[in-house]
Formats: sequence, C-alpha cells, structure tokens
Amino acid sequence: MTGEWGIYIVLYFWLAAMGGGAFLIALGLRDDRAKRSGAFLAFIGIVIGALLLVVDLGQPARFWHLLAGFHPISVMWLGSAVLALSGLGLFLMLILREWPDWLVWVTAILVLLVVGYTGVLLMATARPFWSASPLMPWIFLASAYTSGAALLVLLGNREPGLHRIAFNFALIEIVLVAAHLIWTYPAAQQQVQAALTGELAWAFWGFVLLGVALPLYMEAQRKAAALSALLVLAGGFLLRYFIVYAGQVGVLRF
Amino acid sequence: MPKANDYAILFDASHCTGCRACQVACKQWNDLPGEATVNTGSYENPPSLSADTWLRMKYTEGVVSDEVFWDFTRDACMHCSSAACVEACPTGAVNYREGGVVTVDQDWCIGCRNCVQACPYDAIHYDEHKGVVEKCTLCYDRVSNGLQPACVTSCPTGALHSGSYADMKQLAETRLAQLKEAGYKDANIYGLAEMGGTHVLYVLLKHPSTYGLPVGTVTEKKKVASGWLSAGIAAAVLGYAGVHWVAERREQVGGERR
Ligand code: SF4
Ligand code: SF4
Repeated sequence: MTGEWGIYIVLYFWLAAMGGGAFLIALGLRDDRAKRSGAFLAFIGIVIGALLLVVDLGQPARFWHLLAGFHPISVMWLGSAVLALSGLGLFLMLILREWPDWLVWVTAILVLLVVGYTGVLLMATARPFWSASPLMPWIFLASAYTSGAALLVLLGNREPGLHRIAFNFALIEIVLVAAHLIWTYPAAQQQVQAALTGELAWAFWGFVLLGVALPLYMEAQRKAAALSALLVLAGGFLLRYFIVYAGQVGVLRF
Repeated sequence: MPKANDYAILFDASHCTGCRACQVACKQWNDLPGEATVNTGSYENPPSLSADTWLRMKYTEGVVSDEVFWDFTRDACMHCSSAACVEACPTGAVNYREGGVVTVDQDWCIGCRNCVQACPYDAIHYDEHKGVVEKCTLCYDRVSNGLQPACVTSCPTGALHSGSYADMKQLAETRLAQLKEAGYKDANIYGLAEMGGTHVLYVLLKHPSTYGLPVGTVTEKKKVASGWLSAGIAAAVLGYAGVHWVAERREQVGGERR
C-alpha cells in the first residue's frame, strides 16, 4: 500500500493523543501524583512523537525550517509550534516542584491544541475521507480522552472517575466514527469501503471489536481492568491506522 | 484573482487531439525521466501525475449507447491564486512567485508532504530520492525570459496558448462564444472561480465534472477555518462532559463512603 503519510504519522498521532489525553484527564483529578505522572506521560509522548515526525521528513536535517517559516495559516506550522511549546511547558512542569497556575493553564491549552490540531490537519486536505465531514477533530479528541484514561488506569491509578471517562468516551467515539463513515460515504465511497470491507478492514474491525466493544463489555462486567485498558490503547492505534491509510486509498501511485 | 499581467496558459479542449506532444515537451525541457507503467487498456499513460511527470493528458473515454466518447483534458498544476499547497506549506517553500506562478524552493522544502495532501488537483508530488516535492513550474525559467512554456510551443493543433492573464481570458471568452454559436451549449470556461482563480484556464465542451475536474473547490483558508471551528466546539463539548463525569462520579463515591 502506498501513501504519502504512513506509519510514523500514525504512531505520532497515537503517542501524542495517549500522553496528552492522560495529562488533560489527570489535571481534572484531585491527586497530585496523578497530575505529575500525567505531565510525564505527555512529555514522553510528545518528545517521541516529535522525533518520529522529524525522521519522517524527506529532509530531516532541515526540520528547523518548520518553525522558521512562520506560517500560521498552515495547520502543519501551527501544530509544530504548539508541539514545541507544549514540550517546553511540560518540561518546566516536570522540573518545578510547585506549579504556578498560569503554567498549568497554558500547558493544558497547548496540549489540548496538540491533540486537536491533528484532526484539523486532516480536515484541511483534499482527501474526501478526512475532509468531507467536520468530525475528525471530534474523533481524535474523544479517543485521546479514552486512551488517556485507559493509560492512567493501566499505570495503577484507582480514581473511580477514570473508568467512567474511558467508558463514556469509548461510546461517544464509536458513535462519532459511525457518523463519520456515513457522512463521508457519498464523497469517499472507495475509502469507506476500504475501511469496512477492504484492505483496511482488519484495522477497522480490530478497533471496533477489540478496541471498543470488548473493553466496554469487560468494563460493564467489572473484570480485568488492566487488560481492558490495554485493549483500549491498542484500539487507539488501530483507529489512527485505518484513518490515516484509508484517507489515502485511491491516490494513484505507480 | 490573477492580475491582468500575470503569466497564464490557456488550454482549449475543443482543439486538443490528445497527441501528448505537450506531455513529451515537458519531460524534455525539464529533464524528467520516463515512467515504467503497464498497459491498462487506455491510451492514457501514465495513470496519474508524479514527481517525474508534471504534465499529462487525461483521457475520458467510454461508450454511451453505441456512441464512443473520447475527451482529452490537460492534467497539471493550475497555478492557483489561492493555492492550497502554498497555504498548507509550513515552511513557505512552495510559494507564489512574480506573475502569479507557484513554484517549490527545493532548498527550503523539508519533504513533509502537507502540500501533496492539500492540492485539489493532485498536481504536486513527493520525490522519494530527493526528499522534496516537485511540480510544474509554468516554465518559469522560460517565461521570465520571454519564451513560451515548453508545452505551449509543442502543441500542433493550437489547443495551447500562453501570454498575459488578461489576454488568455479574452481568448477563452472569444472561443467560448464561437463554440456556443456552433451549437456546443454546454461549453464553458474552467478556472475563473476555482481556488481564487487559476492561472491556467480551460475551454471545455462539456461540464467540468465529466472530465473528473473538481467543481465547487473550497480554498485552504476556508477548510482551515472550519477545521479549527469544529475542533473548538469539540474541545468545549467533550471537555465539559469529561469534567462533569469525573465530578459526578466523585460525588457518588463520596456519598457511598459517607
Ligand atoms: S494546482 Fe495544486 S500544486 Fe498547483 S498551485 Fe494549485 S494547489 Fe498548488
Ligand atoms: S513538502 Fe515541502 S513544499 Fe510541501 S508542504 Fe512540506 S515543506 Fe512545503
């Protein structure tokens, strides 16, 4: 399968969303240790994600042109800028013992932008599967919260609200994905079919069944929280995998 | 909107015979290698533009109730006035040059491919060996020295013209009037409104969509604005829900413990 954007982009989307989601959710908890581990997870996700992005460039050594170009209308430029700034904010949070309020707020907004801009980036393309519905940012944000909560659960956080968040956002996510497929179908038949029954069906159905349905069932039964959290994280990867690749189905390369 | 004195190309589909002289001339002038392709049962070749093919003729062919149709359109960068590639590029490497021409500065391009995803004409491509993108330059090296683009000089039927935007638009309108008079009631000019007005204009005999040309194109600026709007609403709605659920659950648990 050929595509302009491939596995590095998928991994970056996934890592940034997992770490960023964990951070944003941890900020809503009353537990300071959770907040700190959230900041750590987001920092790791963003640093590794940024490295993947640089490696994926055709000219990695010129990565600094990204920011030097100063071009805010470009979602790619703005995304890179908030990525760099959020990395800085998170780094400050990790080295400071006491967090000033402004730092928490600014970093939270930057991380929210990092998680959200990826959806805007895809919407602002000429690929109908990404751009024919306005739901891409919704899906990515909902999935960031699901995965973020799952990551915190997996790392042993006992906050009861986490399960609730993961459960509800997983439900929202699956509804949004279904709505997106129906919405884009008239403009992107070939791509929707590739996801439902074609070359990407394994990723799509893997996401639906293993990444959402099974964890939801296990959650309802209150069984094996860690395993279900792990499945949710894998589902977050599969979701981004089929979205990134399906968007580029039908782009002829020979 | 293109300015009156901008460089422009006019492609007149009613004169084109699909001989592909322009396609070859482009390869020769720009030193581009041939493509290894397979026969798919059409004279159209290659099947899409690429980093090594900046211009090709697109064949729209088939049979409708025993009538064969075989139509040719130019497939290359349109040199948009509100170019999606330029607006999507984070570095400013692909940009407007003098006379409205859109070209890539290959010493500044980082190979992120955002422009490739953004172009509604699939006219800009990533060169894996060079790690940067490539596209039609409207023969900037020629036109800025008073020559015509290579494709235009090679056209044997007079389907390609080049000159100032005002002249090309005028020529297109004259030809359109002739065609209408000759009974081609669906004849039209393509490129006047698309992407802020393109520097390559087409005179077509049929509706643009019959040739697979995008109609109702949305500029990158508008797409970006609606993207951020949607993301903003999503962040507010989903954020509110998340905060609400955590708080609610906390109260429930607190109540149970009490
Ligand atoms: S046709 Fe595509 S590559 Fe050419 S200027 Fe327009 S957006 Fe850019
Ligand atoms: S690939 Fe090059 S020209 Fe295209 S958007 Fe990226 S930096 Fe700009």
